[in-house]
Amino acid sequence: MKGNVIKYERDNIDTDVIIPGQYLKVHDYAELATHAMEGLDPDFHSKVKEGDFILSGKNFGCGSSREHAPIALSHSGVKAVLALSFARIFYRNSVDGAFLLPIEIEEDAYNGISEGDEIDIDISKNEIKNLTKNQTYKMKPFSEIIGKIIDAGGLFNYKP
Amino acid sequence: MGKTLFEKIWDAHIVVGKESGPSLIYIDRHLVHEVTSPQAFDGLRMNNRQVRRPDLTIATMDHNVPTTDRGLPILDQTSSVQIKTLEKNCQDFGIKLFDINSPNQGIVHVIGPQLGITLPGSTIVCGDSHTSTHGAFGALAFGIGTSEVEHVLASQTLWLEKPKPFEIRVEGKRKNPHAVTAKDIILSIIKNIGTGGGTGTVIEYRGEGIEDLSMEQRMTICNMSIEAGARAGLIAPDEKTYDYLRGRQYTPKNYESLVEYWRENLKSDDDAKFEKQFTLHIDDIAPQVSWGTNPGMTCDVTETVPTPEEFSKGDSNQKKGAEKALDYMDLEAGTPIEEIKIDRVFIGSCTNARLEDLIEASKVIKGQKISSDVRAMVVPGSQMVKKQAEEMGLDKIFTDANFEWREAGCSMCLGMNPDILSPGERCASTSNRNFEGRQGTGGRTHLVSPVMAAAAAINGHFVDVRKMDLS
Repeated sequence: MKGNVIKYERDNIDTDVIIPGQYLKVHDYAELATHAMEGLDPDFHSKVKEGDFILSGKNFGCGSSREHAPIALSHSGVKAVLALSFARIFYRNSVDGAFLLPIEIEEDAYNGISEGDEIDIDISKNEIKNLTKNQTYKMKPFSEIIGKIIDAGGLFNYKP
Repeated sequence: MGKTLFEKIWDAHIVVGKESGPSLIYIDRHLVHEVTSPQAFDGLRMNNRQVRRPDLTIATMDHNVPTTDRGLPILDQTSSVQIKTLEKNCQDFGIKLFDINSPNQGIVHVIGPQLGITLPGSTIVCGDSHTSTHGAFGALAFGIGTSEVEHVLASQTLWLEKPKPFEIRVEGKRKNPHAVTAKDIILSIIKNIGTGGGTGTVIEYRGEGIEDLSMEQRMTICNMSIEAGARAGLIAPDEKTYDYLRGRQYTPKNYESLVEYWRENLKSDDDAKFEKQFTLHIDDIAPQVSWGTNPGMTCDVTETVPTPEEFSKGDSNQKKGAEKALDYMDLEAGTPIEEIKIDRVFIGSCTNARLEDLIEASKVIKGQKISSDVRAMVVPGSQMVKKQAEEMGLDKIFTDANFEWREAGCSMCLGMNPDILSPGERCASTSNRNFEGRQGTGGRTHLVSPVMAAAAAINGHFVDVRKMDLS
């Protein structure tokens, strides 16, 4: 899975900035997407492209249980969020609805990957290749059940 | 080896699974509200599924209901649609709903305990992160997303990975328990362990400082477990817990025999092992005020706004976060907290809008007027809290001081209804999140206790409530 990186060099990106509360009444996902990251980066909607990845620090997606957060990112074209750690509800929401891949990375990837870099994520090898800088990093493997839900294409397709 | 309380509840609810690894967990109570449920019900319809246990599913509307006169129509069309959608979904699927006109309507985490729906030893979920509140009763309670809401509606179960037990001990006695509150204890904990300090864990709060708290105060503690990144937070039930739930509207008929069982079983064994531990000594803690844009960015009311260097202790991301927070909050490092002027006061939310919160805040303002520069509102956590407060004359104390006295709902905690801050407005808020834009685009939130919020309303800036007579 190849794409370019939009990097937010900070921890604790919360669901209120990913999709502010006033849009939780919006059920049209395309419209929801136009407000993604609005609380943090008003330019996000104009710069994000189909297939992009977000890279950020610790505790990504903390706060509210709103599934609108991964939905807004996913319908903006974001295929994966790479972060040093995730808040649990955001992490499960991303996987359960098959919206995007939440990928836990280590410091080397966080520091090595810059805004705009093209990277290639290989889940089968738990590996991230930085095609721009010709570097390779390890990603933390998915747990057994998360891997199975991802393979199934979401919680409702998962059969134990 | 012994087990923690959390592990006992977890093990008792495994439908399928091993001791380690993922398990299918049975859910005893499912609370539903208007914002995170519509797609879940749509999913059921699309797949011709029913609600597996409508008798264990309870709904109310709280997030976007107006807090003005309930007799008036709802002007916001999209809110109105969400509220009507929940009514239809509950009707179609046979779910008990406390609608906007019900005397039991209120914030879902306030009404659950009040109605005796929240029970010790049970598993409770809701499409809302502050579901951790119910942990105050020794329940395993946590927030879920909409896909999981649909899964619980359809199956009454969830696939979960087992979190790790985290012991937080609160030791000592507060010198002035009216001025230094449960809110100050939990903000102090989050300030110390950080907003990611509880990631992957279920916190058990223990110790003298927890045992001393009332049930409503314990709810304030457990409510904000999610702000420390924890999956859930809980407190072993004791006689206060059993007394609180006795005789409520939905308390089970065989309650006393349940209490006997809970007394025997719902505590961590002496030799239970916690994966993580933290101790807070509360003898000398001060009232807390958040200065930044997450609940970990908090300090004593007697302190000054820290510099990004002081706050970050060498962590570059924390430093950047603090710089951005100061910019957003329009604060300069070194400013004494007591000199920060405020425009708005919000006493409300699932953290601090129960009867005791309103009683304590009313003591601060009785016979006084709020500052002419401040607009202040009280939004009771439920219609039942509102009624009880009115029976005690609290509404009069608040309105005499020029507070607005509102109908129940989540209101200005998350800015989904018309109760929002204008850009640049600064608010002393008893809610749980000071995230950017949380209370309205460009709004600036300072998290405080109800007594601190009330005192700020009177003075127009933060003051140390320990200087006031609150007995």
